[in-house]
Amino acid sequence: MQFDTFGFTAAEVARKQVEKEQNERPSAIPGPAPDEIVVPATDPIGVRLMLKMGWRRGHSIKSSKTSSLYDARREARKAFLALSEDAKAPVAGPTQAEAEDDMASAAEFSTDGVSQLHKSTPVYVLNPKQDMHGLGYDPFKGAPEFRENKRLHLPGNKESGHKRQPPKKDGLFSFKTRNVAPGFGIGALEELDAEDEDVYASGYDFEAFVEEIEEPTKLAIEDKKKTTVKQHGILPGFKSATNSDYQLERFDPPVVPKDFVPRHKFPATSEVNHKMTELPPKDVPPPEDNNLKILIEGVATLVARCGPLFEELSREKNQSNPLFDFLNGGNGHDYYKRKLWEAKQKHGDKIKPLLKEKATPNTQKMTAESRGNILGEKPLVRSVAKDVPAPVSVTETVNLQFHLSDTFTEPSSFVEPTEITKPFQHDPAKQDRFEQYMKEKYHGGLRTKDAGGSSKMSESARARERLEFEAAAEAITQGKWGKESQPSGQQILDVPGGRGLQFTSGGSEKMEVSRGEETIEKSMFPKREEFQWRPASILCKRFDLIDPYMGKPPPPPRSRSKLDSLIFMPDYVKAATEVEKTFSNNKLKLSVSQLDEKGETSVEDVVEVENVERPVDLYKAIFSDDSDDEEGSSNIIINQPQSEDPTKKIEAANTTLSRLVAGDFLESLGKELGLEVPPENHVNVKPPQPTQKSTPQKQEPINSDSHKDIQENSSKNNASELNHEKRDTKVERKGSSSEDDRKRKRSRRHRNRNRSSSDGNASESSDDYRDRDRHSSRRKERKKESSRDRSSSHGRHRKHRSRDSSSKSRRYEDKDYGDGKREKRKSRD
Amino acid sequence: MSAEDLPKNEAQVLKGHEGAVLTARFNKDGNYCLTGGKDRTIRLWNPHRGIHIKTYKAHAREVRDVHVTPDNSKICSCGGDRQVFYWDVSTGRVIRKFRGHDSEVNAVKFNEYSSVVVSAGYDRSLRAWDCRSHSTEPIQIIDTFLDSVMSVCLTKTEIIAGSVDGTVRTFDIRIGRELSDDLGQPVNCISLSNDGNCVLASCLDSTLRLLDRTSGELLQEYKGHTCKSFKMDCCLTNSDAHVVGGSEDGRLFFWDLVDASVVSSFRAHSSVVTSVSYHPKDNCVMTASVDGSVRVWKA
Repeated sequence: MQFDTFGFTAAEVARKQVEKEQNERPSAIPGPAPDEIVVPATDPIGVRLMLKMGWRRGHSIKSSKTSSLYDARREARKAFLALSEDAKAPVAGPTQAEAEDDMASAAEFSTDGVSQLHKSTPVYVLNPKQDMHGLGYDPFKGAPEFRENKRLHLPGNKESGHKRQPPKKDGLFSFKTRNVAPGFGIGALEELDAEDEDVYASGYDFEAFVEEIEEPTKLAIEDKKKTTVKQHGILPGFKSATNSDYQLERFDPPVVPKDFVPRHKFPATSEVNHKMTELPPKDVPPPEDNNLKILIEGVATLVARCGPLFEELSREKNQSNPLFDFLNGGNGHDYYKRKLWEAKQKHGDKIKPLLKEKATPNTQKMTAESRGNILGEKPLVRSVAKDVPAPVSVTETVNLQFHLSDTFTEPSSFVEPTEITKPFQHDPAKQDRFEQYMKEKYHGGLRTKDAGGSSKMSESARARERLEFEAAAEAITQGKWGKESQPSGQQILDVPGGRGLQFTSGGSEKMEVSRGEETIEKSMFPKREEFQWRPASILCKRFDLIDPYMGKPPPPPRSRSKLDSLIFMPDYVKAATEVEKTFSNNKLKLSVSQLDEKGETSVEDVVEVENVERPVDLYKAIFSDDSDDEEGSSNIIINQPQSEDPTKKIEAANTTLSRLVAGDFLESLGKELGLEVPPENHVNVKPPQPTQKSTPQKQEPINSDSHKDIQENSSKNNASELNHEKRDTKVERKGSSSEDDRKRKRSRRHRNRNRSSSDGNASESSDDYRDRDRHSSRRKERKKESSRDRSSSHGRHRKHRSRDSSSKSRRYEDKDYGDGKREKRKSRD
Repeated sequence: MSAEDLPKNEAQVLKGHEGAVLTARFNKDGNYCLTGGKDRTIRLWNPHRGIHIKTYKAHAREVRDVHVTPDNSKICSCGGDRQVFYWDVSTGRVIRKFRGHDSEVNAVKFNEYSSVVVSAGYDRSLRAWDCRSHSTEPIQIIDTFLDSVMSVCLTKTEIIAGSVDGTVRTFDIRIGRELSDDLGQPVNCISLSNDGNCVLASCLDSTLRLLDRTSGELLQEYKGHTCKSFKMDCCLTNSDAHVVGGSEDGRLFFWDLVDASVVSSFRAHSSVVTSVSYHPKDNCVMTASVDGSVRVWKA
């Protein structure tokens, strides 16, 4: 127990406070308030003597106050401090009597201020500057539960209004115990020395102190709250979450195989996805003209398979041809629409399993058979297929499909052999580029060399491909392509004209492919990752630099998975993490893009999952090993959206579809989690009885009065509490419906998670699976938990400043960034 | 600077080391040089006149790297004895021995003010030692590497190190962040360009890679030499126009920085060229080799 005998420290705090406020409000006296005017916000012997002599607390201050707002704020602050004071009373012991004394003496003064408070609930009560944090600092950012905690403390005190007692020793205590201010730090240009310890961080320390030492009393208070809140349908000790991004971080993204190209490949064109939503056009009888009917059906099939590009092309080509009027809404257009829809349905059904394959990363690619099925190919007799490799096994690698030589029969639906088909079916990306090429060729105009996604190709590969495209286009125009099997670069040059079946030998193609893979592999390196690293302060000193982490708590040791340190990480793992990274980038982008539409829905999500915050630990217990990868990636996202990361380049190439896919994935993940995660219970299920019993036991001899007080207050203030709560949630929803915000919090939380895992896994798991019947060890556990919470709030704290400054512009920045990226790419090409 | 100006004529041969010479470093102004080798000695030379000035003996094992302060007053060295030595040049005495590395120390560097020695060890760590205080404990240990750290470079605000885990990591003291550029190949040696914008990394796939430091982008690859199993140096010329690297076959290579073509290459030693140091001002390069000789080459 330590006493602020001379009240220096507390006076210092008060002085700082007043100085701070002085700067805010208009005042007759410019500059900081002189010390003489400021009443020491403490109860040292001098003040007590003064009180005895008839001096009334606050008198001199009162005279210097110009605004009632100031008064109200001051009241609020004092009330808050008073509560913590009271709560600590059992420990404080002898000071209690004086406190009461003081209260009585101060009662008369307090009445006016209090009545002010009663009249209405002004904004500053809801969100007052009632702590000792720096301006703009929000210690509860990202930890709404603590904010709630504090709020519950406050109204009660304000209501009672009698406990305006300045801090006696918590501030002091924290000063003595903590050397280095954890939160706000010391001015950037100052050296960290003994004399400037804790100039700004008193507020934060105070918080920490309240959490730490006052455990028993606080428990009692909390129990009160629990019981009062319970009847309103909310689980005790909990409030409706304002944002619930928790569940998103519990699972690591699925492991993406090495060969995954983070760019969606369209096995067919994208309308496969729209097809489901399309309404079927009404059934129309076919036109009388049988030829026309066949033509329409054929075109419809082709369009369904090749995409609207094909339709466009054929429309353009056959503008003058009256037979193709149906494309432009003429004769037979309805029938064509119907047929097209049917064909799409059919095609889509075939494509769907394939798409699924693509979506789940571990399944392999399309095999020759499946492709053959889709395309309506007929396998040829084996005797001819000398160079056909053995039947494809499911586990074959990517390039397998390239050295398959497929046999093609002309699909019966091919009515227009001269039209464009898909000469590069084996490679959807390539096919895309080819289509782009064709389109450009027909449309004329500006040619972009890079038709999406080929930016990673080397110059020579691109040139080669271009040659190929040209040859293919030529072949198409000559009407040969329809029956052509897949070409390889060499074979295009001597395309045979027959309508018969063609074989391609896989050999040359394969080499080309492996070369391509090589270049891709190369382009993956070097890849940049960013981590937090904390230089020792002495190192900074020796380098004559300012410690970037000065005054902040030590960083969490970066937990690395055992795999990392023991074994050399195999390539595919790296690739996976890489892709993971891009994936999370996608998510970020996605969230940005979804911001507007998702505003409301996210609120609902929030409500849905409000109760499942805690199980994070459970999942951590399971997945704790894998967390560092994600940490790294989220770090990257947060800290350096501007960095020239190769992965970001890939990301920039993503299509809207891939975003959609990612979005679906996220949503489904969220739902899954919301459903599967066991409802949170280990705090609130805890019967309030025993805790209540245990804490008063300790207090009663000394402090039964104040304890009762608190109880009364809390019960009295039920209504107002609820009010506050409602309002708060409203406010916070507004604030946090942005997914961007969430994302940030997510990563922060994640970091905290890591940190706390380093604090001690064992203790945590015991927390998680705590036996609810063990009352004896409850208190200890509570303490543990609170210390963990504290540490996590430290983490938030630490991150807070830098983030806050950039947070507002972040999402625009992000958007701009993406745009810029795209533009850059374009210009480069 | 054209390719003709590149050093190719042997100006001096510094002989004195017994056994392989593992490191050779010019001092700040290029008038002196320090070499260290398997014979556990550090030697101070005037490379231009070929004079052996002083020998520093204290290491218990081979000397792997040595660095001298800009004012020529102190030397730091490291080697197989897991220690980092802090020498006084004139007296030849060891001022301090920094113990702490769990295994061999591969590289050492002074910081700008010669107040800190940063050492890179086979124990996968970087350690920073304080020369100002009397403490022999490291003031910072960086152990995020996954494998042996081969080389370290310091700028005013950063510590850059290359590791066998394939990464070049930049530790920015000012910002407090670590950038890890994964090259996919074990990094043998890193060297900063004189403008400080690029870092040259010698990888064990017989390739030198030039990275842009701000973006982490791979700017160029230099091939032609052999570098598969030895700790070998690489550096840029003082004009940043060419890249210099030794080869395991005893040759010395000069590449054009931009188009990566081999501008010049000649047989410098009969055995592996372990160390290359380019004169800070003149067209002069010094090579050290396993064959026990140090040679100075001039245009």
